[in-house]
Amino acid sequence: MWKYCLVLFCLLSSPVLAGEADIAAIIPKVVHQHILPGYERLAATTATLADVVPASCGRDPEAVKGAYNKAFDAWMMVSHLRFGPSEQKNRAFALAFWPDTRGFTPKTLASLLRDDDPVIHDAEKFRTVSIAARGFYPMEFLLYDDAFTGNPAANRCALLTVMAKDMAENAAAILKDWQGGYAELMIKADNDTYREPEEAVRQLYTALTTGLQFTAQTRLGRPMGSYSKPRPSRAEAWRSGRSLRHVLLSLEANRQLASLLSEEDADVDRGFDRAIRIVEGIDDPSFAGVATVQGRVRLEALQGAITLTNDLLAEYLAPRLGITAGFNALDGD
Amino acid sequence: MPDRRSFLTGLFALGLCPSVTWADAGSPAFLSAARKPDGTYALFGISEQGRTIFEIALPGRGHAAAAHPHRPEAVAFARRPGNFALALDCRTGETIGELHSPKGHHFQGHGAFSEDGSLLYTAENDYDYARGVIGVWDAAHGYKRIGEFASHGVGPHDVKLMPDKQHLVIANGGIETHPDSGREKLNIPTMKPSLAYVTLKGELLEMVELPHAMHKNSIRHLSVGEDGLVAFAMQWEGDISDSPAMLGLHRRGEDPRLLLAPEDEQRELKGYVGSVALDSEQKLLAASSPRGGVVHQFDSDTGEFLGAIHEEDVCGLAVRDHKLARTSGMGIVCFSEEMAGTQMDKTRVTHRYQWDNHLVPIS
Repeated sequence: MWKYCLVLFCLLSSPVLAGEADIAAIIPKVVHQHILPGYERLAATTATLADVVPASCGRDPEAVKGAYNKAFDAWMMVSHLRFGPSEQKNRAFALAFWPDTRGFTPKTLASLLRDDDPVIHDAEKFRTVSIAARGFYPMEFLLYDDAFTGNPAANRCALLTVMAKDMAENAAAILKDWQGGYAELMIKADNDTYREPEEAVRQLYTALTTGLQFTAQTRLGRPMGSYSKPRPSRAEAWRSGRSLRHVLLSLEANRQLASLLSEEDADVDRGFDRAIRIVEGIDDPSFAGVATVQGRVRLEALQGAITLTNDLLAEYLAPRLGITAGFNALDGD
Repeated sequence: MPDRRSFLTGLFALGLCPSVTWADAGSPAFLSAARKPDGTYALFGISEQGRTIFEIALPGRGHAAAAHPHRPEAVAFARRPGNFALALDCRTGETIGELHSPKGHHFQGHGAFSEDGSLLYTAENDYDYARGVIGVWDAAHGYKRIGEFASHGVGPHDVKLMPDKQHLVIANGGIETHPDSGREKLNIPTMKPSLAYVTLKGELLEMVELPHAMHKNSIRHLSVGEDGLVAFAMQWEGDISDSPAMLGLHRRGEDPRLLLAPEDEQRELKGYVGSVALDSEQKLLAASSPRGGVVHQFDSDTGEFLGAIHEEDVCGLAVRDHKLARTSGMGIVCFSEEMAGTQMDKTRVTHRYQWDNHLVPIS
């Protein structure tokens, strides 16, 4: 057999029937109904934030927080789409650097403010600061953390202003790249980025499953810590009371993506339906309750429901898209 | 006096001929085997951008490959237990040598070249005698077998050349198998894995064993830092609820250090690490568990856990130019870099190929 081994050089690929789905028809739907609207919302809401901050900072904190929360909501609807324009020039990281396992965000912010660093007053230069001090998470410190809200308004508002501008520019750049070519690359899938529709659909499928896994293991797993050592202060965006909301929004975003990929398959949707109902029954916006037995049990149930959702995707969605899981996991070597 | 032709052949064989290098095969950054959508298997050259550069069909599922240090040649090992490996010319895709394990031996999936590329060392199981062996092959002359020596343990799985280029480090997994019972593990109650350091002639210089409580932790994969630090990854054959350390570091003459992630993260490994990659300059140690769909990172100096990267069916790991590369059975090739103390994904390419266990960097 070895002697007859064929030698093929790259790009020799024959179309293979992948499951039952019409993959080439699914991709434009995902791009036009899920990805582009998501980034349009992010660009619009961050642009508003960049307008509201200089106008209202120091005078109307609720207006600033309102604009911030709207933009953060918009980010949550695309935060699972970690490929293409969002990964260029560290844009997504500069919008959302979390988890910050080493506490770089508060450290960097504190030093910028303490030294009244010139970058605070210069949007151009601000783009060169560490991603730990850019985007939604550091902004949360400035708006909600007592250690920062007490800073002199001039200083803090200047930083918030450049921060908001930077976020709006990043969101606009991502959208521009999607509209200006990347959407086309993904839909056509005849190029060096996506050589065939199957590659594009795999990209979307792994974005979906990775997004859910991130929610189960990081958004929920970090604050849960261990039974003997819960870590509520590791929850995502707990200062602004957004932790549970992020789980809900990420589930909704992934549910929409799964629905488009599966052509509204009911089996695929079951898991989302159950997980979202569990979220709606939890009254613990910042996961502070994880330190209690009851609170922990609820989050464990939610985590289990999300993991189950991922299992349902592997069972019902992956085969339709021609994807087989467990190649290495089941190999044992 | 040698004639011109044999002189040139000799130069060629020693990898001194400048005209044949990895650049002639398109300068791949990595090699990896994969299963294609049509169910066939191939060895791929992968670029720094995560794209495939060449593709050479393989007759079955691969495990790891050994990349020649100079010439664009790769030896692809079949999945364990295999009795053959192919030496491939990565420019043309031609088979330039077939390595058949001697009667009674199986390849274990890994091999290492000598510094000049003239010799290849292969990890083998001498199964009738339950004895580990390192086979020695003449890479300069069609990969003929020219010798062997003891691995100083049972079931050697991985073997790597130490940075002084004068020694090998061998991961003796400790597990006895026999073709009569496939991959079944025959000696779990008494298994005794080890790390063995040997000269290139097979003389044992140092043997490292873990405490008895860890004797069911099969030492299977290795990554060696430029400074001689050896990272070893294990697979636990005991009760899964124990979740012991699956990763260790060893430096010659010192005691091994075992690395544990915080309890919950440690459990995610599911007692199984598939690949390990060490960058001793960056002090980054990474280990993958395809069963847990996770890559763990540690500071190789302090042993501190730095975090987890979740990636479904991830297995292949390698470090090149201080970038951590990983591949998965879901077709992902992803490069990450350190930013603000955390590894962040920089380039992510999705292929239709299911990348096999190991990603081999080309130096």
